[in-house]
Amino acid sequence: MVRSLGIISTANIENNFGVLCKHRPVYMLPYGGRYRLIDFSLSNMVNHGIRTVAVYTGEKIRSTMDHLGDGKPWDLNRRINGLYIVPPITQDYTISRYGDIPHFFSTLEFIEQVKEKVILINEPNIIAKVDLDDAMEHFLETDADITLFYKRIHDPLGNYINCEKISISEDGDMINIGLNLGTEIDFNMYLRMGYIKKEVFVKLVKESIEKGDADYIQEAIIKNRHKYKINTYEFKGHVENIRNLKTYYDANMNLLKRSISNAVFQENGVVLTKSKDEPSTIYTDSAQVQNSLIANGCIIEGKVENSIIFRGVRVGKNAIVRNSVVMQKSEILENASVVNSILDKQVIITEGVRIAGTRSIPYVVEKNQIIGRD
Amino acid sequence: MKKGKIVAMLLAGGQGTRLKELTKNIAKPAVPFGGKYRIIDFALSNAANSGIEDIGVLTQYKPFILNSHIGIGTAWDYDRNVGGLRILQPFMSEKGGRWYRGTANAIYENMNFIDELDPEYVLVLSGDHIYKMNYNDLLDAHKQKNADVTIAVLTVPLEETNRFGIINVDDDNRIVEFEEKPKKAKSNLASMGIYMFNWPVLREYLIKDNEDKTSDNDFGKNVLPLMLRENKKMYTWEFKGYWKDVGTVKSYWEANMDLLNPDNTLNLYDRDWRIYTRTRNLPPQYIHKSSKVVNSMINEGCYIEGTVEKSVLFGDVIVEKGAVVKNSVILSNSVIKKDAKVYNAVVMEDVTVESGKEIGLDDGFKIYMVTNDKVVAE
Repeated sequence: MVRSLGIISTANIENNFGVLCKHRPVYMLPYGGRYRLIDFSLSNMVNHGIRTVAVYTGEKIRSTMDHLGDGKPWDLNRRINGLYIVPPITQDYTISRYGDIPHFFSTLEFIEQVKEKVILINEPNIIAKVDLDDAMEHFLETDADITLFYKRIHDPLGNYINCEKISISEDGDMINIGLNLGTEIDFNMYLRMGYIKKEVFVKLVKESIEKGDADYIQEAIIKNRHKYKINTYEFKGHVENIRNLKTYYDANMNLLKRSISNAVFQENGVVLTKSKDEPSTIYTDSAQVQNSLIANGCIIEGKVENSIIFRGVRVGKNAIVRNSVVMQKSEILENASVVNSILDKQVIITEGVRIAGTRSIPYVVEKNQIIGRD
Repeated sequence: MKKGKIVAMLLAGGQGTRLKELTKNIAKPAVPFGGKYRIIDFALSNAANSGIEDIGVLTQYKPFILNSHIGIGTAWDYDRNVGGLRILQPFMSEKGGRWYRGTANAIYENMNFIDELDPEYVLVLSGDHIYKMNYNDLLDAHKQKNADVTIAVLTVPLEETNRFGIINVDDDNRIVEFEEKPKKAKSNLASMGIYMFNWPVLREYLIKDNEDKTSDNDFGKNVLPLMLRENKKMYTWEFKGYWKDVGTVKSYWEANMDLLNPDNTLNLYDRDWRIYTRTRNLPPQYIHKSSKVVNSMINEGCYIEGTVEKSVLFGDVIVEKGAVVKNSVILSNSVIKKDAKVYNAVVMEDVTVESGKEIGLDDGFKIYMVTNDKVVAE
């Protein structure tokens, strides 16, 4: 088996998430009751035998450090290799400070030194539990320099407008990557994930720095598409492309469908995350819960419908939570009501207070806020 | 001697034969409890939360699950560079090898381990009990009285004294007499099997006890009474809080049901005294539209489409549509199929209750132990 070096970098779309990304990068968004988006990437990698992972953190690094630590939950706390957390260097470069290429360049020594000869690039805001062994086989068999993963999307309603569209030749090679404007009902969505030979990766990074013609590795790949053999690999499983508040909310709500939650939580092995040692969730006499995903450590005394409830949440008597995402340790006190909303961590909705958004524009409450009556 | 240093010795070899199927393949401390724990997690978490840095866990009876559960103690932060947790199994030496004979013998056989750590105090614990205790309170009492040994005690109802080792004390809480399971007791202070010893004194008496060929090498029966006869300074310290020794299937079931009482004094939700356990990495639980879940504790990985009332469900349990689970404890990975009914039962791990099957009575008093082969009424 050929082992690859996993590289996780962050999508530069924090502004699309409002206060949810005020203090955290996109890949650290809480998801599915007890996870962060990055857990799905990390777990899928280690479940496929990847033993070295570098995380290019972006600037909002605190929550990343707290969550990843030494990588123990993913068994990445190895004596040799394991997890590398790479914070940005902000002073060293006179050239572009945008993009991921300068960060890769500043760590080339590490990338060249690890023994893996293939790199798996990915961005955790796209959840796709790709069978990495099967993809690797394809990559090796076709003797490609780069294999990019895509998913064929049927989109009659235009939900995927502005996602990245990859054009593919008849023999499966990449032609180009652009934006989906909805001109076709079926299109191939690029998953921002793929294998790349390490020597090619290193060359692309160095050349981009030297010529100054690319800030992002994806840009460099496209610019050099005629120089290398770049083909594609189709992923047929479930994909969540979380790129703004609406898709984030929908991706959470999608987990209430069993087929989707099975695909996201069970496919290719369990999803690993930092344990919070929460006890069981308790439902009291007055609890009424329907169609909801609920994590451990909660005390539910009120009504919960069509919602995602994270660890250690309290829902008081006669309180109502409907169509909402309630993050860790938030409290909805007696008689309060929360509808079509996203509550970040440790929010308190005080007694009798009602908040509501709509399904297309959920109401978002920032971390640590106490919402009382005016 | 290292001043102030404590070594905890956790006795985890209990067989718990009256727990029947629950201890068929595992030792009593490994029995699952409270939705996600094993009984030993309480003693281990108490020790960790009390800041005890060295702990020896003595296992011998069917230790495989227990050993893999504890590992190197990572879940309790005992994977340390200095100190930490060691599992102490019975071992061979040039004089031959043998099983630990009694509680005192288990400590005697590991004297070298304690000597090497060179502590001032040795805290003897049992892995069989469910309780939350700050062992520093016991140590403070021990120091205050300048005692040789301090025993944690509990007030029990007078009619139950015949189940316990009863201790009679004077006005100063100094021990004057031990009574083993008396029918007519003079007091109702029961020993919890938690002892704080000065190590040099304990060491001396372990050697004495070992030389006595007629001894059962048991703390309660032999070593402590011997110390009392020789006028050692022995005191009690009274513990006030939830404590349960689950001896039988019925009391096991009751202890789980206790957790559903909103006023239960164990309070697993106290973030300042968490109970730690090995994590299973399961996704959140899902409660379906057609379900009814009230007055219950449910865990990660569960999928509930039926009715769950007054029950404790461990991880990865499936309750299908139309199924009813009431007044029951369902251990991990079990499936209650469509329209099956389970009342007043303890359902073991990996059990499938077939579709339409009924176990127990909604208004019965008996508790049913359910495995894949049989259902036994208690």
